[in-house]
Amino acid sequence: MPGIFDRLNKEIKDSQRQEGISPLDIAQLPPAMRKIMRLMLREVQAPYALICETMEKVAEQERLSRSALDDALAALTEQGWLIQIGAGEKALYKVNLRRKEGSALMSGIWSSLDTKLKKDSSDKS
Amino acid sequence: MSQGKIVSIHSFRGGTGKSNTTANLAALTALEGKRVGVVDTDIQSPGIHVLFGLDDEKMGKTLNDFLHGKATIREVGFSIGENLTAEEGRAKLAGKKLWLFPSSIKSREISQILKEGIDFNLLNEGLQSAIKEFDLDYLFIDTHPGLNEETLLSIAISDALLLILRPDNQDLQGTSVTVDVARSLDVPNLFLLINKALPKYDFAALKENIQNQFQLPVASVLPLSFDIAENASGDLFALRHPQHEWSQALRGVLPYILNI
Ligand SMILES: Nc1ncnc2c1ncn2[C@@H]1O[C@H](COP(=O)(O)OP(=O)(O)O)[C@@H](O)[C@H]1O
Ligand SMILES: [Mg+2]
Repeated sequence: MPGIFDRLNKEIKDSQRQEGISPLDIAQLPPAMRKIMRLMLREVQAPYALICETMEKVAEQERLSRSALDDALAALTEQGWLIQIGAGEKALYKVNLRRKEGSALMSGIWSSLDTKLKKDSSDKS
Repeated sequence: MSQGKIVSIHSFRGGTGKSNTTANLAALTALEGKRVGVVDTDIQSPGIHVLFGLDDEKMGKTLNDFLHGKATIREVGFSIGENLTAEEGRAKLAGKKLWLFPSSIKSREISQILKEGIDFNLLNEGLQSAIKEFDLDYLFIDTHPGLNEETLLSIAISDALLLILRPDNQDLQGTSVTVDVARSLDVPNLFLLINKALPKYDFAALKENIQNQFQLPVASVLPLSFDIAENASGDLFALRHPQHEWSQALRGVLPYILNI
């Protein structure tokens, strides 16, 4: 059902125009980069060497060459979707996940409930 | 990649039996001698702690404290095997390696996190360090129904996603959306679990029908049962009544988990 998927994606995009990548952005990356993103999420910080090693295990028709991988990492870092720590062969990469924005509406319901509960318990004592 | 496996349990709609199933499956996995964690990422309507006998008073540090930098993930992990209550089902977890990472049930703290949002980098670090620090074989994630962002994150990092549905057209439609999302995020193991099936149904036919519809394995079909409803999330039903048909059917999911 691509219609619903696209709508969901758009809704989340519209509600959050800020730094970082969302899982739905990850879903739209090429297969090889999705595997690298999953690796980085699970490792929290992935050394460049491990990223290269993982890329070598990707099926041949999807695999990126070393220079294409370097370009992809640089582009994703530029976009604020990855954070690069250190440089060159020693670099570590981590995913920069987009923050979930707060909602005043939902929290309003909970805080009025909280006020009411506090009032009820002080009425009893 | 670390050895611990992440298993997310999701349903498109609420009330499907996600928390009951997750808690019982996690307990059955711990009884197999595995080191198991259970995280409640249903931050806005937490519930799975009840099945493990926790209430506001017994609950120590929570995921909310972790997300606010007020606790480490080690402090949040609550050892179920060392903090048992009298209930017959849960008592069987004595000495087992099972930790719950609960979400706060204080309305002020729920309100705070809804207002401030969530640092997903920190949440992911917390989940990954829970696996490392407790040397977990499995981390079960009980998610919020529907497709919110916490759920999408949990799908993106899962080794397996167990989708629970009732044999109901609303559930079927919603589940197909989640299946599309999970496929596009390359979840390595996807399977379905049917809960609340009317006993008068032909379970084998139902299973085959749903398997064909989604082109995914149905791990098991669990019956709708008054006994589960009567248990009212008061105890771990599959441990308390291991011979019950619901418990037997749930046990059928275990090989799927152990083979991830
Ligand atoms: N197979 C079943 N038969 C009858 N009642 C069930 C069954 N599974 C779950 N329930 C009941 O349904 C309600 C919702 O279950 P819960 O596990 O909290 O669902 P969720 O986490 O999906 O919202 C609870 O009252 C529970 O006791
Ligand atoms: Mg629940």
